[in-house]
Amino acid sequence: MAALPESISQRLVNWARIKSPWITLFNSGACNACDIEVIACLMPRFDIERFGILAKGSPRHADILIVTGHVTLKQASRLRRVWEQISEPKYVIAMGACGASAGAFHGLYHIMERVEDVIPVDVYTAGCPPRPDEIINAVVTCLNLLKEDQVHGGKEWRQNKSDEMMKPIERKVEM
Amino acid sequence: MTALLTLDYVAEKMKEYGTAEQVRSNRIRIRTTPERVSNAIQKALESLGCDRLITISTADNGTTFELFYHLIGPHRTVVSIAIEIPRDQPEVISMSGILSPAGIYERQIHDLFGIMFRGHPGLKKIILNEDWPADEFPLRKDWKKNPDTYYGGIKVERT
Repeated sequence: MAALPESISQRLVNWARIKSPWITLFNSGACNACDIEVIACLMPRFDIERFGILAKGSPRHADILIVTGHVTLKQASRLRRVWEQISEPKYVIAMGACGASAGAFHGLYHIMERVEDVIPVDVYTAGCPPRPDEIINAVVTCLNLLKEDQVHGGKEWRQNKSDEMMKPIERKVEM
Repeated sequence: MTALLTLDYVAEKMKEYGTAEQVRSNRIRIRTTPERVSNAIQKALESLGCDRLITISTADNGTTFELFYHLIGPHRTVVSIAIEIPRDQPEVISMSGILSPAGIYERQIHDLFGIMFRGHPGLKKIILNEDWPADEFPLRKDWKKNPDTYYGGIKVERT
């Protein structure tokens, strides 16, 4: 995504993206606790649809991919394929302890251990499973990243920044 | 026939195949040899009133592999037929001819322990991914993940 001069239609698209991010959920071999917490987000108690966050069934409609679970060897290529189907700009949330380092499953024979080994991750959420408000916080963090990326004209600036500083993305989660 | 089987009854019926012992109140284990396991299971199906297989469980004892064929019937007693096979020559006859559900458990055991089942019609991978190395069996006690081996999935480039 190069830094184009902003036309009115592009500004409208950017505005709409931030007002209504669509998420899709991918279970890469999780124990389903994370999936249940995402479902709890959609239920009346948290009701993320009032913020315009919609859960979509197809990755082709989504802006944000939420990956739950340690990535099993069989699911790795499928996760990669799902990620490739999402149109730019796309953001990835690795959910829970499993997404960061396989959590309770660390060291087993059938897993990739980190989502980061398969696809680039923008935001990590801590917890086993993370609470629904932490998921909402992760989505909001993604939107802040999206705003900053629009200013910088792409995601490359964060790569340069991470060379200078230690893991700026993880610090963002704790904001 | 809904009363639990008694140890004496099972020991009497199965005396030519090995010794029986009461493991739990509803579980009786018969220790037999790999050569007689096929006949023992046939006998349990015919004369003990067992009609189906719960599962085949496997244990790695360091020197031997232990296989347990857990059978059950309307009497609600689990009849476990146990055999031991040497670890350096892990081969046993397949039960898929007598008990068709045994075939799928045998494929699992073949994947994870590397035990060969003679006479199995299709001993293909079922649990592990297709590009898993052929000579690695992850549930054996002496198996360790080698960081240099490619186990399938996606190749990771770590800098």
